[in-house]
Amino acid sequence: MGELEIFLQILFWGLYAGCIYILLATGLNLIFGVMKIVNFAHGEFLMVGAYVTATVFALTGLNPYVIILFSMVVLVAIGAAVERFCFRPILGTGKLNEIFLSLGLIYLFQNLAALIWTDKWQSIQSPYASISIPIGPLNVPLDYIIIIVVTAIILAGLHLFLKRSRTGRAMRATSQNRKGAMLVGIDVERMDVFSFSIGCALAAAAGTLWVVSGQVFNPYMGSIPAVKAFAIIILGGLGSIPGAIIGGLIYGVAENGAAFLLGGMWKDAVSFIILIVVLVVRPTGLFGESGE
Amino acid sequence: MRYAVLFIACVIGAILFAGCTQQTPSQTTQPEEIKIGVIVSMTGPASNVGKNMWQSAVVAADEINADGGVFIKEYNKKIPIRLIQGDDESTQQGGQKAVTKLITDDKVDILVGGYSSAVTSTYEQIVADHKVPFIVTGASSPIITHRTDIDTSYIFHHCPTTDSYGQYTTWFIDQVIRPAINAKFGFPDDRNLRVAIIYQDSPFGKGGLSAMNNTITNDKLKMEIVGQQSYKMGESDFRTVLTSIKATNPDVVYAVVFPNEMAQMLPQARRDVQMDTIFLVPENNDAPEYYKGIGNYGEYSIIESRFSPYTAPKGPIADAAMAFKNKFKDKWGAFPDMMGASTYEGIYIAAKVSENAGTLNKDAIRQALGTLSMPQMVEAMSDGTISFSKDFRESRFDLYMEQLIWDPTVNECRPVIVWPDALKDTSFVLPDWYKPGSA
Repeated sequence: MGELEIFLQILFWGLYAGCIYILLATGLNLIFGVMKIVNFAHGEFLMVGAYVTATVFALTGLNPYVIILFSMVVLVAIGAAVERFCFRPILGTGKLNEIFLSLGLIYLFQNLAALIWTDKWQSIQSPYASISIPIGPLNVPLDYIIIIVVTAIILAGLHLFLKRSRTGRAMRATSQNRKGAMLVGIDVERMDVFSFSIGCALAAAAGTLWVVSGQVFNPYMGSIPAVKAFAIIILGGLGSIPGAIIGGLIYGVAENGAAFLLGGMWKDAVSFIILIVVLVVRPTGLFGESGE
Repeated sequence: MRYAVLFIACVIGAILFAGCTQQTPSQTTQPEEIKIGVIVSMTGPASNVGKNMWQSAVVAADEINADGGVFIKEYNKKIPIRLIQGDDESTQQGGQKAVTKLITDDKVDILVGGYSSAVTSTYEQIVADHKVPFIVTGASSPIITHRTDIDTSYIFHHCPTTDSYGQYTTWFIDQVIRPAINAKFGFPDDRNLRVAIIYQDSPFGKGGLSAMNNTITNDKLKMEIVGQQSYKMGESDFRTVLTSIKATNPDVVYAVVFPNEMAQMLPQARRDVQMDTIFLVPENNDAPEYYKGIGNYGEYSIIESRFSPYTAPKGPIADAAMAFKNKFKDKWGAFPDMMGASTYEGIYIAAKVSENAGTLNKDAIRQALGTLSMPQMVEAMSDGTISFSKDFRESRFDLYMEQLIWDPTVNECRPVIVWPDALKDTSFVLPDWYKPGSA
């Protein structure tokens, strides 16, 4: 392998890894932006999304990239229920309650998943698993190109929704100033449900892309991606969607670059070192604003 | 007054009588069961292995109890076994909690199990402090009985260590793969074979790495390690690590990994990074989930093994292994894995040493473990017997190498034994797509 080929290969793996992180972190940031809650159980929605896709795929044999829509709809419903029955009753009662509630949800979702799908790790194979496409010196599996394109489409859709739709603008207004939004007649509780549901749907998309890429999944798979998603939104700036996107990309590329240059053991460490450096230099994160 | 004196005398008499009867050992100290604590990962990431170990233990206990239990000479009768489950939750803290409960609350006579060297080595201190005989059937790092910071004299190791994994794998590479590559590509016999190693950053992974290094050095083999990469346990994206390894141009790759990791690494290596090389993995990967997970990307890869769900070496243990697999499948609807097999044997070892000791005294059981010599059961043992070495209390297994071949009838790979000659079904095949490494 030539040096240029290796460099491009590592960059591509970083871009792919970044896609999963971006979807998860964007959803988390959307929820935090509107509701200002800390949900450590967000990774469990990725896990449920992965299982929903895998189950439908096993039952119907449908293309998993089509199932992503179904998985997102299912998670919209689950997200709405969790928001309504778990987070809304404790909203504003203190961060500690939110943290312990979300920790409890982690165990609840993990055990429920283990009960329904067993806790054995599983994997599925994409229908395009054997297809690779030459891009310059690289021979890239088609699935990864689809994953990057799907991520871009979802993010573009989210951008349009938030910028152009009435509900999207109301969500942004709630994110910017909750009391102000209430004063101008926005139903902020409705915005909470929307943001939580959309956040969960994005996690479901991340879970689907996770399984389509051939990675194994089990009920405990969500914890590590959730921690990374939190680091990404802090890096990018709390509440900032562009920050989550840029942060996710930085994370993906930095992790893979570190794994190549320093060894696999440094993969997680380097990302958190970057986080520390950014916080020291710019405590609000890359795209965060003071007071957010 | 006379009645009062009589009443008090009766009470005193009754107390004295009760006291006397309590002195009779045959009525109060005779145990109703032999309590075996089975420490396994019933929850958490290692739970698929842990459940298999527990289920195997139950199969063994059922068989022993169906025969009335274990004869204990001190009580002159057979006593049934009761298994008490300790869930280490796949974590070090969980392991400490579970072992403490088994020893102090449940007051088990013997401990069996222990998976993940990192977890097991954490609670060994508790076992050592309470001097409870412990038959380790899952953790594979040699540190389990080699460490000197605690008293490990009550701990006996009944599963091959990573030293054995690495040693047998290195011998196989040297004796079979190296000549096959040289013959096919016209390389000189003295060409050094290029080996790359990917290992989990844990006692298990590091053990495999050092075992291969030591075997190459000590046996002066014509092999060189051209690249090595570690990763954190639980990693799922190996693409960059594999790209790094590919850049070293290896002839073969030895991956000291867990099955859930290898089921991702192998497809990523063959499909994403296009590594046309032979992968070798240690025995813990020889599990049904692994075959399902790797799909056709696993074809022609190698597993070092001692108990496979889908094959068994010809010879005396073949029937016993098949009987165990069938019983397990009848009871649990699945196949046992090798950690299950050694735990199944671990329960039998616990029963045998209790019988040999003739008592449930822990020190006597420990001594019986030290002098144990019982026929091999479902796994091939050196000399055909299960016994523990005098130095580090390790049993010695006869290991073999399997090559995976795609079976279109089940849509999964299936193993065939290709080494050693005494056990092999067929010869190792270097696939057409294989590309050797280069300096």
